[in-house]
Amino acid sequence: MTDYEPKIIAFLCNWCAYAGADLAGVSRLQYPANLRTVRVMCSGRVDPVFIIKALREGSDGVLVSG
Amino acid sequence: MTRKLLELAGIGKERLHLAWVSSAEAQRFVEVATSVIESIKMQGPLDRIAHEMSLSACEMTLDSETLRWLVGKEVKITSQGDIYGRQWSVESYESFLDHTLEREYQKNLIYLAIDQGCSSVKDISERIGLDLKRISYLLADLEKTGRIEFRGMEDRKPVFAVL
Repeated sequence: MTDYEPKIIAFLCNWCAYAGADLAGVSRLQYPANLRTVRVMCSGRVDPVFIIKALREGSDGVLVSG
Repeated sequence: MTRKLLELAGIGKERLHLAWVSSAEAQRFVEVATSVIESIKMQGPLDRIAHEMSLSACEMTLDSETLRWLVGKEVKITSQGDIYGRQWSVESYESFLDHTLEREYQKNLIYLAIDQGCSSVKDISERIGLDLKRISYLLADLEKTGRIEFRGMEDRKPVFAVL
C-alpha cells in the first residue's frame, strides 16, 4: 500500500489545535496533506455521532484535537 | 466510549484518534498529524460497504437517550450516589456503562437485521453472528420498549417485525 492516500477528517478546536495548525502553516512546517479540517469552536462540540457520520461518508479515520 | 464502540463493531478503535495540542505547539501538531496519518495508512482504507450495518448500529447507539443519560450523570452518581442512595465507584459505574454500551449496540444490530427482513431468531443470528440465546433475551427487551413486535408463528418459528 505505498500509493494509498487515506482521507482523514480532523475536528480541530478553534483555540488550540486549529491555531496550532495555523502556526504550523505560518512557520512553513511540512506535514502530509491527508487531513480534511473541520474547525469547531471547542472540541467539546464534537458529538460522537459526527465521528460515525464522518466514517460512513468517506473518511478512513478521524482525529479529534483540542 | 466511541472508541470502545468502534472496537465492538469490528471497525477498530485505531480509526479514531484524540490528541491535545496547544495553540503555540506547531511542531507538536505536525507530529500528531503525521503519526495519525501513518496509523491510518497502515490500516488501509475503511470498507464502508461491509461495515454499513455496524456503522448504522453505532450511530443509533450513540444517539440513544440511555447512553447519553448514563454519560451525563456519571459524575453526579459516582460522587453523590444514585437516587436510591446507593454509592457507585467509578470502576463499577464504568463497567456498567460498558455493559450497557454492548447491549444497546447488539439491540440495534438486531433491530436493523429485522428491518432488513430477517424475521426469525435463526435468520437474525446468521445475519449478525450473535448466539440464539442472547438474541432471544434482547428481543424481549426490544419488544418491551415497543421497537419491534411479535407477529405470530410461522412453521413453528416465532416471527418478528419492526414498528
